Amino acid sequence: MAEADPRPIGTSLPGFQAAPLVVHAPPVELEREPLVAHGRGIGWLSDTIAGVAEGKPAAWWKICFGISFTMMLVCFGCVLYLMSTGVGVWGLNHPIMWGYAIVNFVWWIGIGHAGTLISAILFLLRQKWRTSINRAAEAMTIFAVMCAGVFPLIHIGRIWLGWWLFPIPNSNGIWPQFRSPLMWDVFAVSTYFTVSVLFWYMGLIPDLAVMRDRARTRIRKIGYGLFALGWTGSNRHWSNYEKAYLILAGLSTPLVLSVHSIVSLDFSVSQLPGWHTTIFPPYFVAGAVYSGFGMVLTLLVPLRRMLKLEDIITVRHVELMCKVTLLTGSIVGYAYAMEFFIAWYSGNPYEKYLFIHNRAADPYIIGPLMGIKAAPYWWAYWTMIICNVVVPQLFWFKKVRTCMIVVFVLSILVNIGMWFERFVIVVTSLSREFIPSNWGYYSPSPVDILQFLGTFGLFFTFFLLFLRYVPLIAIAEVKGVTPQADPHHPLGGAKTGGHH
Amino acid sequence: MKTPLTPGQIGPKYWRSLDELAGTAEFQQWVAREFPSGASELLDPVSRRKFVKLMSASFLLAGLGATGCRRPVEKIHPFARMPEDYVHGQAQYFATAMPARRGAIPLVVKSSDGRPTKIEGNSDHPDSNGSADAAAQAAVLSLYDPDRATRYARNGEICTRAAALDGLTALAATLGSGEGAAFLLEQSSSPSRARMQQAVGARFPKARWHVYEPVDLDMPRTAATMAYGKPVAPYYNLDKAQTILALDCDFIGSEQNATVNIARFAQGRGLASKEDAMSRLYAVESLYTLTGMNADHRLRVAPGMIVPVVARLALNIMGDKADGKLAALSRPAEAHDEWILPCVKDLKATGGKSLVMGGYRLPLPAHLLVLAMNEALGAKDQTIEFHAVPEAVEEDISALAKDLHAGKVQTLVILGGNPAYNAPADLGWASAQAKAKTVVRLGYHEDETSWNPSLQGVTQWDLPAAHFLESWGDARTANGTLSPIQPLIEPMFDGLTELEVLAILAGAEKTKPYDITRETFRAIGGPSENDWRKYLHDGYLAGSASEPASAQYKAELLPPILALVKEPASAPGPEKLEVVFHRDSKMDDGRHNNNGWLQELPDPVTKLTWDNAILVSPKTAREMGLAPREQKQDQTQRFYDQVVEIQLGPRTVRGAIWVQPGMADYTVGLALGYGRERTGRIGRNAGYNAGKIRTSEGMNYASGATLKKTGETFQLSTTQSHWNMEGRAPVREGNLEDFRKQPDFAGKMTLERPPVVAPLYPNPLDRMKTKALHQWGMAIDLNKCVGCSACMVACQSENNIPIVGKEMVGKSREMHWIRIDRYYAGIGPEPEAEPQAALQPMLCQHCEAAPCENVCPVNATSHDDEGLNVMTYNRCVGTRYCSNNCPYKVRRFNFFDYNRRPLDNLYQSPLDPRDRSGGKWELLRWWENPDRGNRPEDEWQMARLVHNPDVSVRMRGVMEKCTFCLQRIEQAKIAQKVKARASNHIRLSEKEGTIPKTACQQACPAQAIAFGDVSDPESTVSKWKAQPRNYTALDFLNTKPRLTYLAKIRNPNPEMPDYKRHQEPYSYDQFKETIGRAAIEEAEPAGKGAR
Repeated sequence: MAEADPRPIGTSLPGFQAAPLVVHAPPVELEREPLVAHGRGIGWLSDTIAGVAEGKPAAWWKICFGISFTMMLVCFGCVLYLMSTGVGVWGLNHPIMWGYAIVNFVWWIGIGHAGTLISAILFLLRQKWRTSINRAAEAMTIFAVMCAGVFPLIHIGRIWLGWWLFPIPNSNGIWPQFRSPLMWDVFAVSTYFTVSVLFWYMGLIPDLAVMRDRARTRIRKIGYGLFALGWTGSNRHWSNYEKAYLILAGLSTPLVLSVHSIVSLDFSVSQLPGWHTTIFPPYFVAGAVYSGFGMVLTLLVPLRRMLKLEDIITVRHVELMCKVTLLTGSIVGYAYAMEFFIAWYSGNPYEKYLFIHNRAADPYIIGPLMGIKAAPYWWAYWTMIICNVVVPQLFWFKKVRTCMIVVFVLSILVNIGMWFERFVIVVTSLSREFIPSNWGYYSPSPVDILQFLGTFGLFFTFFLLFLRYVPLIAIAEVKGVTPQADPHHPLGGAKTGGHH
Repeated sequence: MKTPLTPGQIGPKYWRSLDELAGTAEFQQWVAREFPSGASELLDPVSRRKFVKLMSASFLLAGLGATGCRRPVEKIHPFARMPEDYVHGQAQYFATAMPARRGAIPLVVKSSDGRPTKIEGNSDHPDSNGSADAAAQAAVLSLYDPDRATRYARNGEICTRAAALDGLTALAATLGSGEGAAFLLEQSSSPSRARMQQAVGARFPKARWHVYEPVDLDMPRTAATMAYGKPVAPYYNLDKAQTILALDCDFIGSEQNATVNIARFAQGRGLASKEDAMSRLYAVESLYTLTGMNADHRLRVAPGMIVPVVARLALNIMGDKADGKLAALSRPAEAHDEWILPCVKDLKATGGKSLVMGGYRLPLPAHLLVLAMNEALGAKDQTIEFHAVPEAVEEDISALAKDLHAGKVQTLVILGGNPAYNAPADLGWASAQAKAKTVVRLGYHEDETSWNPSLQGVTQWDLPAAHFLESWGDARTANGTLSPIQPLIEPMFDGLTELEVLAILAGAEKTKPYDITRETFRAIGGPSENDWRKYLHDGYLAGSASEPASAQYKAELLPPILALVKEPASAPGPEKLEVVFHRDSKMDDGRHNNNGWLQELPDPVTKLTWDNAILVSPKTAREMGLAPREQKQDQTQRFYDQVVEIQLGPRTVRGAIWVQPGMADYTVGLALGYGRERTGRIGRNAGYNAGKIRTSEGMNYASGATLKKTGETFQLSTTQSHWNMEGRAPVREGNLEDFRKQPDFAGKMTLERPPVVAPLYPNPLDRMKTKALHQWGMAIDLNKCVGCSACMVACQSENNIPIVGKEMVGKSREMHWIRIDRYYAGIGPEPEAEPQAALQPMLCQHCEAAPCENVCPVNATSHDDEGLNVMTYNRCVGTRYCSNNCPYKVRRFNFFDYNRRPLDNLYQSPLDPRDRSGGKWELLRWWENPDRGNRPEDEWQMARLVHNPDVSVRMRGVMEKCTFCLQRIEQAKIAQKVKARASNHIRLSEKEGTIPKTACQQACPAQAIAFGDVSDPESTVSKWKAQPRNYTALDFLNTKPRLTYLAKIRNPNPEMPDYKRHQEPYSYDQFKETIGRAAIEEAEPAGKGAR
């Protein structure tokens, strides 16, 4: 860093006489907690973060990887079985033609929301705390979208014809049908995935260069070197990088909102009671962010402990994420209430029946009070309500937000709740719609369940590989938000700190 | 190896085949004859005669439409010379008939390239309106049953056909005067069989003849024969009847001649305008049958109470003419006077326009009372006619069993039937059959009656029977019209007909069934060749119907018979249940057991498939602590029903319980025809055998049964799990008086429809409509539909719809394109006890604004310009979104490759290396022959023959649905274009009779379905749609279906107790509560009964 001019600004002008500018330190109670705790230096950051991806893997990593890899194979096995035998191996039936596959698809896509929200929207809003978590969250997004992408592909009957969903010029001269929301899905999800990968990779380049520079073996040097694209850290590089990052953030921001809005249109464009709802797009986006943050918490809370990253991913970070979860969870709760209100207010007996007789009427309180039989899916509905409406309200309490074990458990409940939300929407609406003669009940088959668990294998295999080979925290960006990077900070500049 | 030399042969030899190299005698002969079969016969003078005879016979046939019946014996694939009137790819149609006990169902069968593929009723026939019941239509599948008997066997060892026939001839030679010989036959209306029986009787005068039908529908005929003193059978003119009383008589379902009954009944129920008259149906029954479901008033009584009710009705109808004994008999039914008296009053008011019908289960005295009532009402020759019939002279099976046990029978000839399975349990048939020395058995399946190794000391010949589509024969329909049975295909497994066997045994000169039938016709229809041809072409002999007999009723017969009737036993209770054995709506007595279409056809009442169940009323189930099925019903589609044991005397049977609303209390209903021990792949493991506790004393009813829980459960598969309309009124119903007051009430039974604003996206169909030639549409009259389900089989047959098996039905994956929804509605504290039923055929509605179309991402479902919602199977990738968005849920998805996989093995992946059908890894086998799937070769070869070549067979992962029989529409259009030639007259029109019928419409006995061009205001469908009863299901969704319904109208008698309790159809209350307003203007306060 260039040595600053020792003279105060303006004092060089001839004839200028003024009192020197005094900047008072803010009072202690207003001071924010630093984003990197314990005044860790820049060198320490590089060593710690890059260290995760260097050296021999820890025992827990090996065990986790073994389990995940096996489960991924199970996932592929299920796909093979399904493809060779037919969609009938799932628990689907008439009238419930969509089951686990679509539930899982929407769920994984929802999880994929947090990454881009953190990296794009929080970036544009200048939320500096994002730097500690954005890399891992973005990786999570990409892997979650991959898991999601498995399902629409395999859920169709004749899988080998999946490419007909893409507008590829072919000799049949038939185009996909652009009026179908499934078509919009194809575009929305593939665009989202592409931009997310680009964004992630963009942000990775400086860090890959760090990895390259730190590499001790030739293979690593070449490997990281290839992906670092010749990054030298010159000012021109940084300047281009910042511009590109900003542009990509701008591009991603609408995508965060569009993907899940469009996924929600799969439902709201149709005319089923329970699906045909205009509230779905915002409600789905809020739910997606809610579940995404839930998943980030689920991943990072144990990771910061195991990788000893408590000084980088601080309690403050966790708290902030809890607050986002609280906000989005409350929006989701509001949406549930609104759905119920509209079902009653619209005077449509079909909607009313769905919400009361098919979802809400439990066999213990509401059902007996209203004198109606228990709804077949009351357990799913109330799991959803408890996990998505009651659980996030606990985050009002600082004690809850700062107790890592509690946060971890609640974050898992958030994910369970959001899975059930999709289950409730997809399955309960289909099971009892217009004409009573064809009402049915859905129960998953073992293949459904294994397939779902298998996608966790896929997800964690990729995530664990990510931990091993890529810095899981954006080194360059975290350094940028340390006090040392701020020349005006008492600790800033070249006064103290490491060798970088 | 040295080549054998012919003498004098030298030099190199060039041999033409390995046979020649071997120098076998056969080969030498073959070379000599050059043309392997037939040609060298010409050298022989005797055979030449035969050839000329054959030629003349085939020339004779060539002039008829029947040419296609008899293809050359040689199986040639391309036609060297095209048969006359054969156009490749164009189906041919032949008239024939399906024998049915004492009657027959006249049929027209479609033959595609020599294979019968579709069975329809013969609309030209005087005793048919062109409909056929489910069993008749499904018979074509039985023809290609891979498990049918295919071999001639002696004591289980295969022998040649020639050896078996020689054995038969030899056997006949040893019979002498026929002492010790007995014949066991099924009922038949065939004059040829009667003739052959006579011929056999002439040769063996001392032979005994027995006829056995496990479900004997003959009681009305027996009673009429007795009451009128000559052999007559009743024939019901239900169309002329204004008031009908059915006494345990399911004339819509299980009685003789049901299709004709339905046709005539529906005529009396049609309502074109509010001025029209409509018949009223009263039913008294223990089970809940289709007739009960269609009745305006229904009295539910235990079987033991039916005779007293009949007596009470008779007492009140006959008044002072009644016998004193009648009053005593009727006393237990006094409790039902509230129901009986207004019913009698109604019957008397319509007098000769009334009709009382007694079911086959009723005992003889009750039938005599039924006849007496009809006499008293003046119904005879108006609503009921008596036709002269041949006298039944044969003895029953009990006599035969007695003879067998006594060792009096050495030779037993069993033609058809399956007594080892369905003979009364007390006869001990299996051991009886083993007492004979020689048994000849002609059977369609290798079943319980076929030879089994445990039979010691018996010589049993098992002969495979030919299907009626492979045989020559004749039959008479219920009104006596002579109808030919002509083959559409050579016997596929060289099977025999009973005519042939009898002729051989009689030592007749001509044993070919064709000759026998021809001979019979000569005697009845005259010698003219033209008449014979016309007879075969038309499918009936004009004017052969028997005239209504002018028989005098013998009133004096009644008192002595009534005197014999025992006082009814005490009322049934939980410890003393009454049992009704009933003919199954699908399996009949078990004869259709291996027919997949019928097994998967839901029972019209219970909607059960693949099994029978023990039917009990809700109250009985509750009292006996049997878990109400409803508890499970909400939670899962699969019902795990309790298995119970029914004990009747010393015999027991186990089966799953089914709580059936509307059943009489303390009564169990046991359907026959299931629980087969030896049957094919389809019928295996289906249901329990009620015959185990059925004795010759109680073939229809029994009392004193007990029911015991076993703690086991059994999974029953049903196609409909929710029975309540929930006030949504998919079926809109009203009473006749409401309809007269406000004919358009049905249109108001709906949610408010959203106002139609300018559409954002105009429907392209609106533009196309103006240009297209036709606009197809359909209307279904719910007032005529009786729920018989014939349409379902018709559709299955026409459209190559696969069966999916019991497990898949349990998962709601059945593939039927048309289903009959059945709803119950009840009132009062026990709503399930006496429900009202509503039936609705549900199929693709062909919405103009189809919700399925805009959600398909690949354009697989779209609209054509004639208003059809069409499905492109090849384009479908299987997202199933269309089904989700279909509010009628009429789309069906191929979850598995049902056509190419054995149904018990659907879940096995072809990648599984253990899968080795045919000894090869499935994947490898598939690579070599991708067609067959992994079905066993025999099954596959047979199963694919039944497919309609005009409709594609769908693979897994494809969505399918009703197409309004698009293939028929296209064929009709092509035919019209061919006819139009240069003219532009290519529009199909109903006036010219060029509009095709859909398969369901064609099959509907009630003619409740109208299909046609809705752009033609003169078409039937347009006229139906213009009726005030017309409504659209779920009209508030604005999907604008092309299929509309005509509302159901009930015709209750205001004096009946149930009407007094509640004036509107029960479902109407629920509608009002749900929608929050009335549809029918209320003059007086609505019913008081709580729902």
